[in-house]
Amino acid sequence: MSDLMKTYPILRIKEHGPGVKSFYFERMMDALPGQFVNVWLPGLDEKPFSVSALGDDWLEISIKAYGPFSNAMMRLQPGDRVGIRGPFGHGFSLHDDALLVGGGIGIAPLRLLAQRLAAENRRFVALLGAATAHELIFADDFKRWASGCFFTTDDGSYGQKGVVTQNLLSIIESEGIRFVYAAGPEIMFVKLKELFDPLDIPYEFTLERYMKCGIGICGQCVLDGSGARVCVEGPVFDREALKDVTELGLPHRDASGRRK
Amino acid sequence: MPNATFLHMELAQPTVLASGILGLTAASMKRVIEAGAGAVTTKSFNTEGRKGHPNPSILPFRHGLLNAVGLSNPGVDEVVKEIRLFKKECQAPLFASIFGRTIEEYGEVTQKLVEAQPDLIEVNVSCPNVRSEFGTPFGDSPQDTARVTEIVKKYAGNIPVSVKLGPHGPGVGRMAKVCEEHGADAVTLINTVGPGMLIDIDVRKPILSNKTGGVSGPAILPIAVKSVYEAYEQVRIPIIGTGGVTTAEDAIQMILAGATLIGIGSGVYYQGIEIFRKIDRGIEAYLERYGFSTLDEIRGLAHE
Repeated sequence: MSDLMKTYPILRIKEHGPGVKSFYFERMMDALPGQFVNVWLPGLDEKPFSVSALGDDWLEISIKAYGPFSNAMMRLQPGDRVGIRGPFGHGFSLHDDALLVGGGIGIAPLRLLAQRLAAENRRFVALLGAATAHELIFADDFKRWASGCFFTTDDGSYGQKGVVTQNLLSIIESEGIRFVYAAGPEIMFVKLKELFDPLDIPYEFTLERYMKCGIGICGQCVLDGSGARVCVEGPVFDREALKDVTELGLPHRDASGRRK
Repeated sequence: MPNATFLHMELAQPTVLASGILGLTAASMKRVIEAGAGAVTTKSFNTEGRKGHPNPSILPFRHGLLNAVGLSNPGVDEVVKEIRLFKKECQAPLFASIFGRTIEEYGEVTQKLVEAQPDLIEVNVSCPNVRSEFGTPFGDSPQDTARVTEIVKKYAGNIPVSVKLGPHGPGVGRMAKVCEEHGADAVTLINTVGPGMLIDIDVRKPILSNKTGGVSGPAILPIAVKSVYEAYEQVRIPIIGTGGVTTAEDAIQMILAGATLIGIGSGVYYQGIEIFRKIDRGIEAYLERYGFSTLDEIRGLAHE
């Protein structure tokens, strides 16, 4: 691991569908599920991304076209160099009888978690949702590793039409779930928190914030209410750590520090 | 626990969070106080706010950090809200760090800031990272520094003012003297050093988006200690000694050179947020080992 900047060539690229790609690099570091790396595109910007998978000799990052940075990533070719440093932050803890709830590109960090849970023979169930079928990345991996898989798409192009939260409680009950991991849009966390807190179900969510440094000093990603740094104490937070957070679901602070 | 008297303030500890580190929000600064800092300094802000430079903007290297954040801030109105929020929950002093693109802007931001009643206004005239937009920092010119000091003092009312200087320009001792003569109640020494540059040898380009950035961290400690030492011989106003402090031994050097408070910035990267308590305990052990009971007894001792 290293906080220092170093660039690596892209070894290969996998296109999951329009605007969703995985990029493979040499395995320059170990990373725990939920940890992230800073990716630098020389001449453009540097942004945090979670590691979506690790192989014996490769590391994978999965990106959805969204803003200028991710769209520039879509234009890269194998052999192009990007900076990667990390891993940063605090990842997921490992539990049995877990439910993995992923929304959209939020599925990416859960892919590494699923890989790790499967390697430790821990039982888990996956509930994954996206706007449309091709954004349900890694569905085959989850089917292989999970003891049960449930899929939803907004347009009904794969799995059940709708959103992940609609059948959540019945899945928790029928599958004997004792721990929930979630990654995806923050509004989903607000809903999950409302559902789980009264039932006393423990959980970990992985948060995203605008970051400058990734190393705990710029203060850009500090959460209102708790004072926790998403880049150091997060990005994965458990129920206890989220208890005092007052900004869950609010618009994020931008580069100037202003909440939009 | 060695407390510190600074101007009219009693601090529970002699350490202060330096500007630019963890100083964007009330929640963040409150956490730093809970971690053992005696006071906090906000990130530098101006009237309208700024987006700052794209990333990479903060970059560790083997002996320190290189940064060109570019004075990103949400503007004085937002900062006033955060200061109020902090003051509602924390007793510890809060220093508000300001900058302006023009000398007049320092006056404008001070006028808007005073309603929040910060315990001190720190005047940043020495950011090395906005030269391409702002030109040469005011802190490089005795005349400009004098004018900025005067205009902030004019609007600051009873709030004390500290001017934050860099190690460059016409000599830090002389510049501190200029600040004192024009009404500054304290000086903060030093800002980041340089600017410097780091190049990625594989893509063969400067890494920082701004290409150049200020150097902080362990590499600049000797420059900071020397700057405090030099200024201590020139001025009677207290000095906030900042620059490269990562251990209690570093902090003690600053006090022996003449600092009243110790600024901690990049040290948070090297030691974690626990650095404030570590330094505090280390200073206490040092005082005990040599039979001193207060920081005042060792301040400036390196001069005798």
